Amino acid sequence: MAMLELFTSMVKEEWRVHSTMFGSLSFALFPVMIFGIAFMGSFLLPLMRATLPAGNLTLIVHANYLMLGIMVGGFGLLGNEVMNRRFGQASLLAYSARSLPLSEKFIFLNFVIKDTVYYFFLWVLPFGFGYILASPFTGVPLAAALLLLLTLTLSFLFGLCGVFFLSAVYARSRLILLLVLLAFGVVVGGISVMIGMNPVLFFPPLLLNSAFTWLNFLISCIVLALLFGVAILLFNPESVGSEKTYRDAFAPLVRRFSFLPNPPLAAKDALDLYRSGSLVGQTIFSFLLPLAVIWFFLSLLDSIFPPHGLLFIVAITTGIIASTMYTWVTMFDTFGPYAGLPIAVSTLIASKLTTFGVLQLIPAIFIAVVALLSGEAAYLVPAVVLAISVSFYAVSVMAWLCGLSPSVLVYDVRVLFVYLILVGIVMTIFTSVSFANPYFALSAVVLAIPTWLLVQKAKSRWDAVDPDGF
Amino acid sequence: MEIVLEAKNLTKTYGDVTAVNNVSLEVEKGALFGLLGPNGSGKTTMIKMLTGQVRPTSGSATVLGLIVEEDPVGVRGRVGIIPEQETPPSFLTAVEYLEFVAAVRKIPDIERKADWWFDFLDFADKKNVLCKDLSRGTRQKLMFTQAFIHEPAVALIDEPLINFDPIMQDLVKDYLAGYVKKGKTIFISTHILEVAEEICSGFAILHKGTLLHTGPVAELTSRNEHLASFFLSLVRKDGHA
Repeated sequence: MAMLELFTSMVKEEWRVHSTMFGSLSFALFPVMIFGIAFMGSFLLPLMRATLPAGNLTLIVHANYLMLGIMVGGFGLLGNEVMNRRFGQASLLAYSARSLPLSEKFIFLNFVIKDTVYYFFLWVLPFGFGYILASPFTGVPLAAALLLLLTLTLSFLFGLCGVFFLSAVYARSRLILLLVLLAFGVVVGGISVMIGMNPVLFFPPLLLNSAFTWLNFLISCIVLALLFGVAILLFNPESVGSEKTYRDAFAPLVRRFSFLPNPPLAAKDALDLYRSGSLVGQTIFSFLLPLAVIWFFLSLLDSIFPPHGLLFIVAITTGIIASTMYTWVTMFDTFGPYAGLPIAVSTLIASKLTTFGVLQLIPAIFIAVVALLSGEAAYLVPAVVLAISVSFYAVSVMAWLCGLSPSVLVYDVRVLFVYLILVGIVMTIFTSVSFANPYFALSAVVLAIPTWLLVQKAKSRWDAVDPDGF
Repeated sequence: MEIVLEAKNLTKTYGDVTAVNNVSLEVEKGALFGLLGPNGSGKTTMIKMLTGQVRPTSGSATVLGLIVEEDPVGVRGRVGIIPEQETPPSFLTAVEYLEFVAAVRKIPDIERKADWWFDFLDFADKKNVLCKDLSRGTRQKLMFTQAFIHEPAVALIDEPLINFDPIMQDLVKDYLAGYVKKGKTIFISTHILEVAEEICSGFAILHKGTLLHTGPVAELTSRNEHLASFFLSLVRKDGHA
């Protein structure tokens, strides 16, 4: 009984968090938009199949839902801190073990189930439903559409419970996490070398989608249950009343950042990222892990890309994922803590973008490593330029649309729609350009112009809005 | 007397809700002015408008000669503010937060000033603790410190004594009384009437966003009337449940 009540309350809470941010109607339209995209997109399938085999399309969609699971899981684990910064003294039921006669593990179990069900209805079901409803018109058998819904759900769950599992291990020991990742890499790499196939093809939901068997389905469920079970067993809530102390690092950091436009704000961002564990955690779970997954998935499509195409597709994708680093530096506070100080919203946006700029070293190094590992050192510079230019452009769109609240406003249908259009156009243009000639990717530096304009617009737009949160 | 804070017909609406309705008031230099009202009466919105945290729907405000709507950052640079329910940044320690405030406000000699405040408000043992791990009371001490560490000409405080224990409340009340004696001005919002009566020189009563009364506390004292009974009679007359 307690489980059902807690679960229901958590679902209500999640809905109210989202609808408080941008209105019930705007948020309610979100799954409708996902449904619309899937339904309309289904009619483009014949056109897409002319250039892309159906199996590859399936691969891309599964990769997206795996990513979605990873991102939802990552946000869920940071939820309380984010909420406290965004809503003042807000508190989530997930962190209410101190006031309710329920154990931390029991609440976490409910939290995991809530996330699964809630985001299934928000993201997975509308997509599957759109595809299923379109199936009579597109000639796709209903059974295949239903199977896709099942395997997308599993993909999402693999992402979600995978990140819960890894972060639970991370919370216990970073060394063990490293060993787990190494062991996983060795096993997967070993199998792929022995069989001579891309390991992504062994991703259980994909296996299931290509040939449904009850055994495969059972294996998927067992793997998921194991990951969830271990995550819940290892779950280690921060002990109540603990006080972390640090030696004064702020003043030395301000001196070290004296070359930046606003050293105190940059020093604060650096301490936020380091002490919250976000720099390492986010780099692993929100950057390297998704990109490694995408790289593996895209490498399956290598044959349909022009020569060197894979590197530049990975570069553009890296740029998009890297742009989300803006959420790493904005998720810890609204304008609230700065509202009593002589700081304008535009100053804060500029400062967050500066910190974001410093963080771009990570994607630059990542793309350089990818270029070197894939034996395409000759195209290292154009690939890095493309990735970083796309990242800065995408973050300028984000700053213009969302100001200091990108991780919450993304669920506003209008915001997401405009973001997808503006970023999608640029992705299409520069994919074509770099496919035509790898060195043409250098032309992405022209994105500096719209980037600069959008940042200026972001500053004036958000300076004109009351900055008192939600 | 010199007017350091002035609101002229300030109104703030959020959709259909009018949080503050056509409020005008003046605060003289050296006053300890209390903005009183029940929960939801518009006190916090008033402070936010006076410090440029939200823009008025109509009307205007002037603080220390600066028009708030035109130069909100300039106003915040010259005053001290303790926003309601706001907490210091989670991942800075208490001393780092004060250094952050000092760097933004360009306050010299911060180490010595911070140490004085740590001793004065008795939380020196917490100076290296992360703000997120501080108790509510200690966070309030830190927020109080950041508002006064640059000795602003005007300080605006939302619920100044909230989260303080009785000993600390006494200490802070004495500090506020001494602060205005130095010619500085303090504007507080509170619904704790005993505190207002004890320390304020002037007051205004806000109810449902409307100003019901403004005047000196001495006016009541001369009539042998308590602020609490005056407040309750006004608010009840205005239709408070």
